[in-house]
Amino acid sequence: MRSKIFFLLIIMPFFCFAQKIKENHSTQILKCSTCHSCDVPTKENPCIKPCPREKIISIDQLPEEGPNVLTIDKFKKQTDVYEPVIFSHRLHAEMSGMGGGCKMCHHYNPPGRVIGCSDCHELTRKREDVSKPDLKGAYHRQCIDCHRLWSGKVECLNCHQLKNSKTKTDISTIVKKNGKRIHPQIITPAIVKFDTPKAAGKLVTFYHLEHTDLFSIDCSKCHKNESCSKCHAKDLVTLKAGKTLEQKHLICSNCHNTKQACSYCHLNTVKPGFNHKERTGFDIDKYHGKLKCVRCHTTKEKFTGLRGDCSSCHGIWTHENFRHKITGIALDENHSSLECTDCHQEKNYANPTCSNCHEDKSFPKFFPGNFIKKR
Amino acid sequence: MAAQTRRDFFKTSALLGTAISGISNKQIKAQSKNILSENRMGVLVDTTACIGCRKCEWACKTAHNLPTLPVEEYDDRTVFKKMRRPDDKALTVVNEYQNSTKFPINVKVQCMHCDQPACVSACIVGAFTKKENSSVIWDTNKCIGCRYCMVACPFQIPAFEYEEALKPDIKKCDFCFDLTKKGKIPACVEICPVEAITYGRREDLIKAAREKIKNYPTRYVNHIYGEYEVGGTSWMYISSKDFLQLAFPKLGRDPAPGVSEAIQHGIFAYFVPPIALYALLGGVMWLNKNRKKTESETEI
Ligand code: SF4
Ligand code: SF4
Ligand code: SF4
Repeated sequence: MRSKIFFLLIIMPFFCFAQKIKENHSTQILKCSTCHSCDVPTKENPCIKPCPREKIISIDQLPEEGPNVLTIDKFKKQTDVYEPVIFSHRLHAEMSGMGGGCKMCHHYNPPGRVIGCSDCHELTRKREDVSKPDLKGAYHRQCIDCHRLWSGKVECLNCHQLKNSKTKTDISTIVKKNGKRIHPQIITPAIVKFDTPKAAGKLVTFYHLEHTDLFSIDCSKCHKNESCSKCHAKDLVTLKAGKTLEQKHLICSNCHNTKQACSYCHLNTVKPGFNHKERTGFDIDKYHGKLKCVRCHTTKEKFTGLRGDCSSCHGIWTHENFRHKITGIALDENHSSLECTDCHQEKNYANPTCSNCHEDKSFPKFFPGNFIKKR
Repeated sequence: MAAQTRRDFFKTSALLGTAISGISNKQIKAQSKNILSENRMGVLVDTTACIGCRKCEWACKTAHNLPTLPVEEYDDRTVFKKMRRPDDKALTVVNEYQNSTKFPINVKVQCMHCDQPACVSACIVGAFTKKENSSVIWDTNKCIGCRYCMVACPFQIPAFEYEEALKPDIKKCDFCFDLTKKGKIPACVEICPVEAITYGRREDLIKAAREKIKNYPTRYVNHIYGEYEVGGTSWMYISSKDFLQLAFPKLGRDPAPGVSEAIQHGIFAYFVPPIALYALLGGVMWLNKNRKKTESETEI
């Protein structure tokens, strides 16, 4: 009988898991092999891969969607040394937002919902599956690395109160206090200027907002695995000073050639911001100024390869599919049925030629319709 | 009733045997064959996870009724300035080694509970036993204080309590045999906050360790210390640094010398006349026969 119950307990999570995920499978673009080890996973044998960490598709929530404060008292029965820990979940979620969000801690994060630690890590230390730490181990491993970097300490009393301590604070007081703790909003700086020790080109101007908003680079692309200690480390100055040249350039070298093209960033004056016309010859201010780069340069972070030729993005224009009004000129009857190429020989549809039909007319002296106010 | 009588008779003869040779029949059975069960337990120490909180030291002392400071005193990291060894006051200690990356490396030291324990074979009175669940334990009443085990152990683990000159007592990690025989886990394993020390079937632990090394090749050196050293140990280690730099002895795969000689050792050291030996062996056979019978009797 006991073995039957045990068997049920073992297989139940698989069924629950399968149920939970089911509705999401159809809506996600997923490769079976991301989660399953066999070709044909069935309900009976889902052959789910063990903890695929970074490779798994992750969902993200806003900090306020998760719990505010957690009281970790799952180990009450096992240990009588410490009081339960009050964990300011929201505060921590907000802090991790820049470095990668939920998945910084919820490293097994399949589509559907954010999975809590105790869904995978067993409560009992004496167990069969020793391939991953038990719950107590998992909790501590998750906390300790950041806390150690941040405060330089691993003392238990930083988070735990001794049960028999005379000076201990009432649990409900701590819960209340932590409920109010939120991290101040992290504001993306527009420009950061770095004073570097480089003799020729002391100043590096970093257009932060441009990188995040215009170039659509995710925070976590650069602030990868950054813990709170990035800003809060006890010894921030030494932490920074101890970096090698390579480490200092690490983030930029994701995209820029930091080994050779020094003068691209290192100047003696403040570098002007990004200007599409100057860099490529194609003036985007007229019609494309409000677009993010990725609207046209669809491979993110690789902004090359377009031909300055409208059809790169817009396909072939004809008199039927192009609303000429948008240019500020509403074509008159004579002109509206002509093919675009009858007047525009250039691929970027710049200034029209009238001489194909009208020997004595030229643009912009004459208009092929009415000049109207632009849209 | 008949069985009862036989058992009584046996008890007397066993007592007699013990009196003559100092070796109980139980001991002979354990030593003549080193039972290495497939399901024997072990511990995998992940030195990359250990944070040097020394709670294991506290738990070990508490579980063994050794005098200890209050638990919060173990947060004191100044003890790491000196390299320490397990001794009669502390059956396990944690040391710290400096490291070029973020954090120093902490290494917990205790008896390795060898699969082919040199201490067991070195003991001339057979006070040591390797238990089926892996623990290498000893019988205080038998120990005569010769310290052969200290010399034989490749990890220099057994220590002695010298305070009582006439009654020396071995002190070493016993893998918390009193707990494990009741199905519990060792005290140090129980308390470790990060589960840097994982208790489980030795085979499973090796599999898990291999998997970790494979998945995180930059985090670990490709070596499970204790998998093969001196014929294999129950406590095994994985680490980010070469083990020699963490004060682990360099040992070959062969068991420590003399591992199979125990039984002769024990008997001849006491100059037991052959007659007594035969009498004793006869007694053992009687026991086995008798036990089989009682077992079959109870089964029916
Ligand atoms: S309790 Fe665990 S983490 Fe702490 S020192 Fe011992 S082995 Fe290391
Ligand atoms: S480490 Fe030493 S004391 Fe422990 S079992 Fe091995 S030989 Fe015996
Ligand atoms: S297994 Fe038991 S005796 Fe050995 S070090 Fe751990 S707590 Fe101490």
